[in-house]
Amino acid sequence: MASLAFWNPIACIIAFVVLVAIIYLFRSRGQKKYKKGTAQTQIFLSGEKPPAAEQRHIRAHNIYWGFFQALKRYYDPTIKAHTGIINDYIIWFITLVAVTAVILFIVWLT
Amino acid sequence: MSLNSFKRALWVYHLNTGSCNGCDIEILAALTPRYDLERFGIVLVGSPRHADVLLVTGPVTRQMAPRLKRVYEQTPDPKVVIAIGSCGLEGGVFYESYNLVGPIDQIIPVDVYVPGCPPRPEAIIEAVVKAWVKLEKAAEQKVT
Repeated sequence: MASLAFWNPIACIIAFVVLVAIIYLFRSRGQKKYKKGTAQTQIFLSGEKPPAAEQRHIRAHNIYWGFFQALKRYYDPTIKAHTGIINDYIIWFITLVAVTAVILFIVWLT
Repeated sequence: MSLNSFKRALWVYHLNTGSCNGCDIEILAALTPRYDLERFGIVLVGSPRHADVLLVTGPVTRQMAPRLKRVYEQTPDPKVVIAIGSCGLEGGVFYESYNLVGPIDQIIPVDVYVPGCPPRPEAIIEAVVKAWVKLEKAAEQKVT
């Protein structure tokens, strides 16, 4: 395995220079004619006026919208189960302990 | 005229300002395999910031006017605007409607007009070619 652990700073520098050259090549092929300080450099929001920079908030929750939507059938009953009332949690706890005890008892009998 | 100065594929942004969708369907017909504009590198793009040509349909409703103006302003120079359909040219069947502020050339400068209700794909293709020639001239003169 020693042969796999290769380290050569020159190789890293060469790789970095090649990467920068590729990025520069892509960048140089881009549109250069945008006029700074005009609408041409503003973000495009389907023709809507873009909000001020400090008001552009996209919460992390929005990123998971599809995830929550796909698992809605799982989340809805579990969210309902979380009532925030301690008595409900204790009932859940006692029920689970009782079920576990019954299962262990059946296992012990067999 | 040979097309040499404008050396990129022509990217087109399509904006509907209240059209009945007849013209929009003809634009799609021009892009799909029967006419196949894409073989010339003419592609619809999702943002005016990437576009060379604005294809505008519809008679311009009051709500759409500021959006149309903003989309025009966001398109980089040199740019060409094509107004598609009778509604965009003079209001068409919506002429003198209370909710219109158009036609299109009342809001933004238009370079190529395509009449018809809706215009055939051949007419749209000819308009795009005319727009391309105009961009070619702009590129030759280095108008920015």
